[in-house]
Amino acid sequence: MKKHTVSAAALLILGTALSVKAQSGDLLIKNGTVLTVTRGVMERADVLIRNGVIRAIGPEVPAPPGIRTVDVSGKYVIPGIIDSHTHIALAGTNEGTEVNAAEVDMADVINAEDPSIFTALSGGVTMVHTMHGSANPIGGQNVVLKLKWGKPSEQMLVPEAFRTLKFALGENPKQSGRAGAGPPRYPQSRMGVNAVIRRELMRARAYMEEWDRYLAKKRSPKSPPDSAPPRRDLRLEALADLLRGKMLARVHAYRADETLEFIGLSREFGFKIACFEHIPEAFKITKELKAAGVGTSVFLDMWAYKIEAAEGIAHSAAVSVKDGLLVSLNSDSGERIRRLFNDAGKALKYGGLTENEALKLITINPAVQLGVDRIVGSLEPGKHGDVAVFNEHPLSAYARCDLTVIEGEIYFDRESYLRDRGEEAAGKRPGDDKGGAR
Amino acid sequence: MKRLPLGPAILVLCLALVSGNVPDAGTDGPRILAIRGARIVPVTSEDIPSGVILVKDGIIVDIGAEVAIPEGVAVVEAPGLTAYPGMIDGFCQLGLSEISGLPQTVDFRETGRVNPQLRTWEALRPESMHIPIARANGITAALIVPSGGLISGQSGLIRLTGRTPGEMLIKGPVAMHVELPSMGRSPFRRREAAAAEPTRHFKELGDLLVRARSYDRRKRIASLNPLLAPPGFDETLEFLGPVIRGELPLWFSAHSDKDIKDVIRFVKKENLKAVLYAVTQGWKCVADIAASGLPVVFSSMTNMPAAWEDGYDALYRTPALLQTAGVKIAFSSQSASAAKDLPWMAAKAAAFGLDRREALKAVTINPAQILGVADRMGSLEKGKAANIVLADGDILEFRTKIRKVFIDGQDQDLRTVYEELLEKHRPKSERTP
Amino acid sequence: MKKIVPFLCALFLFGLSGLRAGDFEPVYALVNCRVVTVSGPVLENGTIIIRDGLIAEVGPADKVAIPEDADVIDAEGLTAYPGLIDSHSRVFLETPREEADSPDASGPETARRGFHPGAQAFKDLKVKASDRDNLHRAGFTTVLVVPGRGIFSGQSVLLNVNGESEEAMVLRNPAALHVNFVTERGVYPSSLMGTMAALRQAFLDVDHYVAFRAAWTASPRRFRRPPYSMFLEALEPYVVGKKPVVFTCENQEDIKRAMRLADEFQLNVFLSGANEAWRVVDLLKTTRPPLFVALSFKPPATSLYAVQGDEFKKKAEREIYPANAALLHEAGIPFALTSYGLSGPAEFVKNVKTAIQSGLPREEAIKSLTLVPARFLGLENVLGSLEKGKIANVILTEGEIFEDGTEVRTVFADGRRFEVEKAPPAAGGTPGAPALTGAWEGKIQSAMGDLEIRLELVQEGGSVSGSVKSEMGTWIIIEGTLSGNLLAFTLQAVIMGQSMDLPFEGRVAGDSIEGSFSTSRGTMDVRLTKSPGC
Repeated sequence: MKKHTVSAAALLILGTALSVKAQSGDLLIKNGTVLTVTRGVMERADVLIRNGVIRAIGPEVPAPPGIRTVDVSGKYVIPGIIDSHTHIALAGTNEGTEVNAAEVDMADVINAEDPSIFTALSGGVTMVHTMHGSANPIGGQNVVLKLKWGKPSEQMLVPEAFRTLKFALGENPKQSGRAGAGPPRYPQSRMGVNAVIRRELMRARAYMEEWDRYLAKKRSPKSPPDSAPPRRDLRLEALADLLRGKMLARVHAYRADETLEFIGLSREFGFKIACFEHIPEAFKITKELKAAGVGTSVFLDMWAYKIEAAEGIAHSAAVSVKDGLLVSLNSDSGERIRRLFNDAGKALKYGGLTENEALKLITINPAVQLGVDRIVGSLEPGKHGDVAVFNEHPLSAYARCDLTVIEGEIYFDRESYLRDRGEEAAGKRPGDDKGGAR
Repeated sequence: MKRLPLGPAILVLCLALVSGNVPDAGTDGPRILAIRGARIVPVTSEDIPSGVILVKDGIIVDIGAEVAIPEGVAVVEAPGLTAYPGMIDGFCQLGLSEISGLPQTVDFRETGRVNPQLRTWEALRPESMHIPIARANGITAALIVPSGGLISGQSGLIRLTGRTPGEMLIKGPVAMHVELPSMGRSPFRRREAAAAEPTRHFKELGDLLVRARSYDRRKRIASLNPLLAPPGFDETLEFLGPVIRGELPLWFSAHSDKDIKDVIRFVKKENLKAVLYAVTQGWKCVADIAASGLPVVFSSMTNMPAAWEDGYDALYRTPALLQTAGVKIAFSSQSASAAKDLPWMAAKAAAFGLDRREALKAVTINPAQILGVADRMGSLEKGKAANIVLADGDILEFRTKIRKVFIDGQDQDLRTVYEELLEKHRPKSERTP
Repeated sequence: MKKIVPFLCALFLFGLSGLRAGDFEPVYALVNCRVVTVSGPVLENGTIIIRDGLIAEVGPADKVAIPEDADVIDAEGLTAYPGLIDSHSRVFLETPREEADSPDASGPETARRGFHPGAQAFKDLKVKASDRDNLHRAGFTTVLVVPGRGIFSGQSVLLNVNGESEEAMVLRNPAALHVNFVTERGVYPSSLMGTMAALRQAFLDVDHYVAFRAAWTASPRRFRRPPYSMFLEALEPYVVGKKPVVFTCENQEDIKRAMRLADEFQLNVFLSGANEAWRVVDLLKTTRPPLFVALSFKPPATSLYAVQGDEFKKKAEREIYPANAALLHEAGIPFALTSYGLSGPAEFVKNVKTAIQSGLPREEAIKSLTLVPARFLGLENVLGSLEKGKIANVILTEGEIFEDGTEVRTVFADGRRFEVEKAPPAAGGTPGAPALTGAWEGKIQSAMGDLEIRLELVQEGGSVSGSVKSEMGTWIIIEGTLSGNLLAFTLQAVIMGQSMDLPFEGRVAGDSIEGSFSTSRGTMDVRLTKSPGC
């Protein structure tokens, strides 16, 4: 069997959405209602993407002849959704055998063939912050990916993103040690979790000091010719990077009290927290969070699955926004990721956010938290052409994602998908059978 | 593995934390009231752009565009609002589960394989914090269902208000529940060839039903003939009695295409009343389901398709496929903490082809019919219970605010633990509406 | 257990003949032979002279004189090839002892469980005549025996399959250090990212160890003497001394991981397994690591082909993965073929044929089993082709190699002659065999980690029953059948209170069972071996 047949078979198999050959990043999205998030709403406007970058947004944008064009009349165009807490596209979630696994890097285990990537694209998600799990107080280093389904893993990396290190507080890190046979492993309490984090940070400090001394001795003119360097310890180096500000902490926390204690730890050691993850009790301490300059990345309304999530009210996200915190929504799930836009819709109901405030929760806010707001998170000329198109307003319960674009290349196209499945999408446009309960 | 000793004190603390405020929404309201000026969506008939609903002793006594309101009757003015029938959840665990990860608070799943004797409403906790939250979203009744094993037990229909289980129970039992395994796929060619042969679950069920029929017959004959000794008491066969006598329908949680078809064959052969639940691969056997005449209740729209090959939208598009083929469909939340999401399950299906009006029916009149209470609820009609929801928009939409919920004519307190916690932790001046 | 004094673990000079003193072997003259030299043109009628373990002469019949002291072998109708080289084999390895359960297992050589670079395959060799004969039957005269278990699984030994004495067979010991991207269970590293970090740390530690020792040696009075580490000593020749390090790659990401590590630490990197090499051809073109390509065609668990349903998986196994070698050839990337991942030499031959049907030219297949591995192993001077002066590893086949029906008749290894007998009947072909009854141990592999299981099976004719024990509990096997050597059953698993039926399908080969469980999220591969005793 020749190469061509193999490639064709590979393409066929690689996801039914790819029946259209991906191009070089030139795309014109015409006639949609464009929700830019940062520059207002434009009815009936075009988005021109060239070489993967948005060049212009507006009515009747002039475009080069022959450019690939998609007409989205009647549909809504939003920035590609960003999920800032997932575990998809990875071959592994937890290195839970040690209380500190800061040396592990999720970028080593990217799985570009995880079907959850496609699931996410079908919900308009274009970028994820995919993370180490919460099995230990100090987890590993996370990675930000663009969901370029069908591309090799290294092309999914986003070099502009902050480097982040996972921390976990509460039930998960103190329970994980108990799985399986054998005596319980330290820590088994929240006291232990904090003590472990403090101990490891102190070790990291001692490590930094040891190296500083060595380097100083080497530089000094009186330095002897042969001196043995200290042993490089990747685990403590990762923590040292955190202490030096080269990495940010992303902290899985549930209760208000453990959150405040961790803020204290960050002040004690002088490192920065990008945001707290989940933190269902955020609404209780928005004042303290605001004072600490730390945002949150939360579920909208998933709660009551653990005792520490028993008071995770659905209004927490909206209340936090109104109190001036930077809040993003996340899914932490390969299923929920496809309806993150629904969760944003619920923020209209639980807490009365405006449409744009709700949209920001899944676009520009997570972008800021991940350090990529200069390239994604809103529809502006100069930013990447990461776009999601919905048949209804994305915050409507009746919304469905029809097109997902990353850097001007189409990675999910419902029409092609249906065509490949042998259906006629044309006869099923929602405009024809709205019926309507109103 | 060492088990964590959970002392009674901690348990009390847990329950204190998770108790919702139990609003006293009982029988304090006026016996007669009128709702005036709302757009009325009866569901079973044409919408009324502006009308009146007259309620007496919990029953709708009149409804229409021009209805005379008697003197001195309390009037609820509802201009700009829409009146809907209260929604009905076709399958959930409201009142049976508080903190899903804490077994001390979970009571819908037993150990053992055959448990027809279990009754969910006997484990119902009226103060569950999840009940007011669902109610505040326009859901007024729900089928609470057991899980686990092959025969999980009996479900009951509850109203989402009341201080005691007795006050909440509308009808019990509603059905007997059977669960088929969730991973039903078989790759073996030899099994496909033997598709006509039922799997062992059906053999097991079939055997139980045969024995239940014998048991029932012996009991019946013995009751007529004093000379005959009745059979020794057998709990399982006793509680399968209503099923084999045709008094109680059997609900089958079936996922694979093969299992769905096997269920259809089985209930036909055994001549049983039945309902299909979940039908995860229902898109594959639409014609079979339609031909069977069995109604279908969908599991949560947050479940994933059974296999990649089913397509990413398999569960989303199945409702439209089945409804247009003539199947009676209903939605369920399949949850306690996410019971409030029922309306959005329907909307999700509408996003993928289900007619929006059919979506609304699938959370109102359809579940009422499937649960056998269509004479009393599921639509706004004369003679039915006054389960009325006043909303400022489409009841299936996120941004809609539910302004009032009436259950049996009583205006319900819409405060939930959400509002309580907000109030407790935030200064009054900053409380969000 | 043979003990090899550590400083003897260096290259054996070839001057020392592998054969014991006193073993007499005749001089052979193979005449009327079709000779495929691999390094030169095919000789339709050729003569090969084998004397004292070497090819004394090879050439057209009219150019090569038959020595008077030679035993003449009429090879009319037969074809001579260089003996084949298998560069990743587990043959002759005694089932290794279970590693102790404690994290600091098995002594000072081990830094942590799974990290035993000092383990030598040579020490675990137990040569069985039947295994040797199976190798010869497939045409193999040289095998690289690789220790299997663990992340640093140890050092391989290169053997010339010339008899029954382990020492006499050694061509080079140790040959290379082997690294696998696997994880441990319950101890660090229990995840793939943990394994990567632990590998990096180990390599850094070797560099530090050497630098520290050098500094102390130069100025021993300046600081406390460095501690001794057997683990790091074992790694030193490979990380610092740049001896060959072979990474076993089960999928394309493993290849990328291996090359990243190789680049970071400037390792002398070789890749083995690599059945997804065709997916990273561009990377391999620029980096050019020697490839030992496995002929296992099952898509790895992480692959898209494995999660899109049985139809695609079978198609991938039938059509796409077998074309790996052909695609590498088309891309101009040299590779050796190995039997890694297969049940034995017989399956290897079958899969080579499949690879040829999928587009690999037969001559390339032969080269990838002779000259190319010889070159990769640094022995092209003495192995890999039929040339004067090379080691007399020759096979005579009736029929062209890798054709259906072709059989190997005679094998010469180090000039020693072996007549090849027909294979005994395959396992499961005869009534009453295989005996499934008993305990089987192994693991279920999934993209999320491995689960160790113990199967207890009872076989009655074609029907099988039993149970599966693991740390998740005991599950019952139902609807079990055995037909031929195909084993199938359904496992009634209960996971977190939820009952699920998991269908299993697999093959029995002697003491091993290999197969997979199907779930709606993909398949989980299973490898089991028969437990001794009980």
